[in-house]
Amino acid sequence: MGRGEGMVIGGRVIMRLSPNAIRDLARGRVAALVSATNGKTSTTRLLATAVEQAGPVISQHTGANMTSGVVVTLATGDPDATAVLEVDEAYLPQIFQATAPRVILLGNLSRDQLDRMNEVAMVARRWREMLIGAEQTTVVANADDPSIVWAARHAPHVIWVAAGQVWTADSAVCLDCGALLRRDGDEWGCPQCGFARPTPEWTLEWTGEHGIVQGPDGATYDLHLQLPGRFNAANGALALVATVALGLDPGESARRMATVQSVSGRYAVVRVGELTIRLLLAKNPAGWTELVDVMPPAPTPVIVTINSNAADGRDPSWLWDVPFERLRGRTVVATGDRRRDLAVRLLHAGVDHVVIEDPYAPGAPLPDGMRDLDVVDCAATYTAFHRLRTTAEQQ
Amino acid sequence: MITLVSIYPTLLGTYGDGGNVMALKHRAELQGLDVEVVTVESGEAVPESGDLYVMGGGEDSAQTAASNALRAGGAVKRAAERGAAVFAICAGYQLLGEYFPDATSTPTPGLGILDVRTDRLPKRAVGELAATARDPLDQVLTGYENHAGATHLGPDATPLGMVKAGIGNGDGSEGALSGHIVGTYLHGPCLARNPQIADLLLGWAVGRELPFIEEPEVTALREERLRTVLD
Repeated sequence: MGRGEGMVIGGRVIMRLSPNAIRDLARGRVAALVSATNGKTSTTRLLATAVEQAGPVISQHTGANMTSGVVVTLATGDPDATAVLEVDEAYLPQIFQATAPRVILLGNLSRDQLDRMNEVAMVARRWREMLIGAEQTTVVANADDPSIVWAARHAPHVIWVAAGQVWTADSAVCLDCGALLRRDGDEWGCPQCGFARPTPEWTLEWTGEHGIVQGPDGATYDLHLQLPGRFNAANGALALVATVALGLDPGESARRMATVQSVSGRYAVVRVGELTIRLLLAKNPAGWTELVDVMPPAPTPVIVTINSNAADGRDPSWLWDVPFERLRGRTVVATGDRRRDLAVRLLHAGVDHVVIEDPYAPGAPLPDGMRDLDVVDCAATYTAFHRLRTTAEQQ
Repeated sequence: MITLVSIYPTLLGTYGDGGNVMALKHRAELQGLDVEVVTVESGEAVPESGDLYVMGGGEDSAQTAASNALRAGGAVKRAAERGAAVFAICAGYQLLGEYFPDATSTPTPGLGILDVRTDRLPKRAVGELAATARDPLDQVLTGYENHAGATHLGPDATPLGMVKAGIGNGDGSEGALSGHIVGTYLHGPCLARNPQIADLLLGWAVGRELPFIEEPEVTALREERLRTVLD
């Protein structure tokens, strides 16, 4: 049993003993909740690290972000510490009610685990209802994601951050009237009812190397994160603004966030069997779209591991929304419980592939050159990712 | 040259249904057929001269928007009446019918080119779906369903198959077939997991029956999925 699973069971026991456990444990000390389809674990870690400038902080260390994980985090940490908590999108309304956070950070919404989450519009609708009349809370929200804006725009206190949006396919339609949204550069809006991007107070600029966050007074803060890619700069920008909403110093926040090396194994380099792999968490089309750019160029072979346990989403048809065509010119090792779905997807994408049940076993028929690589990139869905982390730790 | 019209893939493409267009292109290539894909986004006019029209699934508000635009334009209906093939999944399937429930469960008129009517299932159907095929198909149908629609077939439509695992239309049948129009709840995507349906549609488009060409990757996936749900 992994640590995360232990937390879940512990949390269930506490909730059984006291159904109001979250409310009792949270009382007055939850600084921030963080939710999004992608990046919530990284954003939470960045924010928690930044908030430590004001004193001790408790937060999840395992990504357990449903009710049980939140309860255990609150129950086992320093009882006087400030809490910065990651929360699953579907559980956010109930945990928001119970914890009354000072800040709630909303990053992005896109298709993910549709068997469990329902559709993006439904999540946005529940978030919107949650925020109506939430006078005690400041919402830090991504102005570039129309679903986030739709959910947050009637909240009493909102700070809009232009954090960017790469994956637009799940916010093509106006949630108010159903018309197709128009996009023009950073701007977007509904031609029919006028729903449009709010004017952001804070903006993120990505240089290709690092992020530059600019505040409403024109002051800028450089984000030199160790976590790679533009999407992590977006996570950092939202976290930085959340610390401003908490009355903290954004410059100090940026400095502290730059110390975060790896979050719950993401991008960690580990040894599994005979291979040294870099772990990439790739669990939905939006996340994949950003990850392909982080991988070394073709013809370097890579491993892709697809599972369909509850935490991965039971339905892997999202593989067809991932632009796997961009992996052409290299051989992909298809593995995981749903390696056959991946193989059919790669067949249609024109990507050379081999299906291997256990690529880490001695003598596995790996593609030419893979054994000679110092580090092999391995993109994996949630449960596959955690299985690899656990295996690496045990070795 | 087959003209394949992909209708509103942004509005109707929530569950990987864009893969159906990829699968049709792929099967056409195997069969030695040329395909031109015309992608029509919401707000654009649907061409009337297509050979094969494809629609995916989508959220409630997108479904209503798509249905209203397609009814106003009329091109899909006119193309279907002259015998063009139409293939639609889930929300797309429902909107081919007489009516379907909108986001507030109010019956909303569809295109009326398939003799089906959709209301709500008592409980959302989410999971693997397998069905025994009916003529002209003979391979077991496999896919994943995620919908709340109960679809009732009228006398002018026949089920695509009979459910062995899952919910399908809600009455033991799955999907509907009428002339060259096919509607189904199978995501997965449907045509990648059921290439026989892809070949049927392509055969209609070129006016002759196509031989079935087996691909080992696809067979391995089908066997695994059917083993999972039927054993």
